[in-house]
Amino acid sequence: MIKIKNLEKIYRTEDVETVALNKLSLSVAEGEFVAIMGPSGCGKSTLLNILGLLDDPDSGSFLFNGIEVADFNERKRADLRKRNIGFVFQSFNLIDELTVFENVELPLIYLGARPSERKQRVEEVLDKMQIMHRRNHYPQQLSGGQQQRVAVARAVVNNPKLILADEPTGNLDSSNGNEVMQMLTDLNEQGTTVVMVTHSEHDARYSHRIVRMLDGQTVLENIMV
Amino acid sequence: MLKNYLKIAFRNLLRNKAFSIINISGLAIGMASAILILLWIQNEVSYEQFHEKKDRIYEAWNKAHFSGKLQAWNTTPKILARTLEKDYPEVEQAVRVYWDHVYLFSVGDKRLTVSGNMVDSNFLQVFSFPLIKGNPKTALMDMHSIVITEKLAKKLYGDEDPMGKVLKLDNKDNFQVTGLLKDLPNNTRFKFEYLLPWSYLRYVGEDDASWGNNSTRTYVMLKPNASVVALNTKLKTIRQRYADSDKEGEMFVYPMSRWRLYSSFKEGVEDGGRIEFVRLFGIIAVFILLIACINFMNLSTARSEKRAKEVGIRKVVGAPKSALVGQFIGESVLLALIAGILAVLIVQVSLPAFNKLTDKELFIDYGNYRNWVFALGFILLTGIIAGSYPAFFLSSFQPVKVLKGIFRSSKALIAPRKILVVLQFSFAIILIIGTLVVKHQISYAREREAGYDKNNLVYHMLSGDLGKNYELVKNELLNAGVATSVSKTSAPITQGWSDSWDFQWAGKDPNDKTDFDRFSADQNIVKTAGFQLVKGRDFDLKQFPTDSTAVLLNESAVKAMNFKEPIGQLIKDIGVEWHVVGVIKDFILQSPYYPLKPMVVEGARGWLNVMHIKLNPAKSTESNLKVAESIFKKYNPEYPFEYKFVDEEYARKFDDEKRTGILTALFAGLTIFISCLGLFGLAAYMAQNRIKEIGVRKVLGASVTSITTLLSKDFLKLVIIALLIASPIAGFTMYKWLQNYPYRVNLEWWVFVLAGMSAISIAILTVSFQAIKAAMTNPVKNLRTE
Repeated sequence: MIKIKNLEKIYRTEDVETVALNKLSLSVAEGEFVAIMGPSGCGKSTLLNILGLLDDPDSGSFLFNGIEVADFNERKRADLRKRNIGFVFQSFNLIDELTVFENVELPLIYLGARPSERKQRVEEVLDKMQIMHRRNHYPQQLSGGQQQRVAVARAVVNNPKLILADEPTGNLDSSNGNEVMQMLTDLNEQGTTVVMVTHSEHDARYSHRIVRMLDGQTVLENIMV
Repeated sequence: MLKNYLKIAFRNLLRNKAFSIINISGLAIGMASAILILLWIQNEVSYEQFHEKKDRIYEAWNKAHFSGKLQAWNTTPKILARTLEKDYPEVEQAVRVYWDHVYLFSVGDKRLTVSGNMVDSNFLQVFSFPLIKGNPKTALMDMHSIVITEKLAKKLYGDEDPMGKVLKLDNKDNFQVTGLLKDLPNNTRFKFEYLLPWSYLRYVGEDDASWGNNSTRTYVMLKPNASVVALNTKLKTIRQRYADSDKEGEMFVYPMSRWRLYSSFKEGVEDGGRIEFVRLFGIIAVFILLIACINFMNLSTARSEKRAKEVGIRKVVGAPKSALVGQFIGESVLLALIAGILAVLIVQVSLPAFNKLTDKELFIDYGNYRNWVFALGFILLTGIIAGSYPAFFLSSFQPVKVLKGIFRSSKALIAPRKILVVLQFSFAIILIIGTLVVKHQISYAREREAGYDKNNLVYHMLSGDLGKNYELVKNELLNAGVATSVSKTSAPITQGWSDSWDFQWAGKDPNDKTDFDRFSADQNIVKTAGFQLVKGRDFDLKQFPTDSTAVLLNESAVKAMNFKEPIGQLIKDIGVEWHVVGVIKDFILQSPYYPLKPMVVEGARGWLNVMHIKLNPAKSTESNLKVAESIFKKYNPEYPFEYKFVDEEYARKFDDEKRTGILTALFAGLTIFISCLGLFGLAAYMAQNRIKEIGVRKVLGASVTSITTLLSKDFLKLVIIALLIASPIAGFTMYKWLQNYPYRVNLEWWVFVLAGMSAISIAILTVSFQAIKAAMTNPVKNLRTE
């Protein structure tokens, strides 16, 4: 599903150059659950952003489902993103002014789905995430675990092929964290590819494969059994 | 999608009440000011536009050299109209409109004093004042016919049909109503409530065929496709062709489309006029609206960090930039719509006061679909202008950065916002300086010595039987102790009705065309008016019966006539030989802003229309007027007692400037208010931006005062820059304005200092609130948010 080769990303300020990704290559197969680990500043998040088409590489190749996307413009990337990729963040990133239902509905709106279809789909997902009873609440009225469940619901509402999770349990206690990890595992078992950045060895053990990064390069891969 | 945007927009409005109130009220006030000014401008430019034949209608003007200048004026000989029709083939019709005249209308027991005009019978065919009843071609054919407005008809006859009814004017002549006019619109120079036929003027002996008597307005309607250039070329020599004397000077016709806004002449050519005010007001409207929009942008971008996360999330879930731009523009259009509705309410509430201020009858025509289209367009445009910067700014956020929390509003953003604040304050300071200069000029002119004593002085027109019974009324007023002195004059002492460059005296240079004001009085005028006698004596007909041909000169006249010993000199005017009996100090007859003209006050042989009464200061004005009224009623029972206080009439000379002053002050106040809202937003933004710095400084021991100073200092710089930009612009503009007044103040340095100080104090007050708030925050809290 994902094939990147010699990917480079350099952040430049006036007098400092920071190499975030240094000729990195990586492949993720369809249906795989990959955890990316490494110390702060090793380039994990940059990689995830590029995988999520939120950022573009300076050089190298990025094939998404066999299509070269490294040189896509913003409009094309947004289009590809909304059809194929779901995001889960450490800090949930829900819109405070929208209710649970409306937050989850958002990706479907940008996909241009009909209201009836949206309602049905959102309710299905909320039900699945066991958060249906909170559908008319605002994010601030929910606990951290509930907010992350809403975020996961939003990530999967448009049936993405790929879920990118950036430290999804970072702001949660262990029991809520485990719940979220279970959700991601369930989604993966149903066929969704998951790429997750984490600092937690415990969370990483839910994955099929752990990619360890240092200084913008992959240094080690552990296959989980 | 739209529903989602609206939902977000409304929830944002409600969640951030303070922000919404500041933003909407600022925009609403800006829009309301702009609407009021636009209504005013619309009224000004629509003057006379309703006349069907407006493109063919012209007014006759004169041009001639006197008092050393090429002057232009629009009163013409009465003979001109028929001459034009007869001998100038370009002219289809000519219409004369005589001075406004007040008559006493009597219908049954009803008595009303009404102002109107005597006009040529073709008036209603040339001008489009529609008749509800009657035939415009024949309504003014008969000498005893009269056309009245609906409003007057209602006052005279209630709901009865006025057509064919007979009414009496000045207790003398009867007239039959032959036409009922629709009330005059508020955008015409004509102000009549009745029209009488010119033949009546002839009947009362006031028509004449003299080319030397410029005493009526003459309007001409050209034939379709006639050349006005050709006509004007011929009119240059019309006086030489027809006049026996007074052959000098040219005539020309001036198009209707330019009457209202352009008819100010200097050296015989158009120079400024009301159009300057229209342009100035237009600029002010645009600026106030722009400032309100700038504010909106400032406040919206100041809140950008709050909205940044939302933008990031929307982008992550697939929103293209265009959708986000659409969303934010949509939000600002929604705000503009709410502000627009509020603005209309503000306009509706403030229109009566604004109308009083501008002396107009403006209104919003809700029935006109074009106004609705315009209003919606106006709101849409305001919303788009106000929302465009925040929309493009917010939608360009990088989702990666904002969601990671590493987003910090860029420092680069502060520069354009600073420019916006400088712009706002420059405009505010220009208006403050303008207000101060106008006020200074008014008080300067007001303090000018009038040259007579306005206190306890009243005048009354010699209406009805007052002329006949004048001596009786005067004696009773004096005997009853109501008045200490009474005089008859040619005009109210606050108005100049007559002037001439044709006075003759011994030793006059034949080329001398000095224009003299002409005033007439019977006797005791020095005592009644309180003139300051420099030489000689007052008129005294009892002791000196020849005083009916005596004159008083003012000091300027003595100088202009070059008299070493003025008393006893002889002066010829209107075929009479006058002898000088006294010299008075110059007094202000007309504008307090102009140099005082030479003046000749002629004795009782002159034409006397007005009675001036110096009330007895030993008694209360109220009791004096009560007794005076009973005396007037006794000798002039049909007419109302309509006196005027000279001091009040004198104060009216300042009305225009006072109005300008109030309007400038009003706009200055509004601009400052709206600008302060913007400054408040910027201060909040800057404080938020430097929250970490403030925390660190406090941890290191900085006091609240030092931090407040640190934060306020930047804004002071902006206001000082604004002051530097505004001062020369305001200085130049006000210098130009002051040139309109020969008697004027100088531009003083303190005006600029005062304007600067007030702008700075207002800015400090606004900013320090935010600065102190930021400085007082617990540093631990600030640092933790990092």
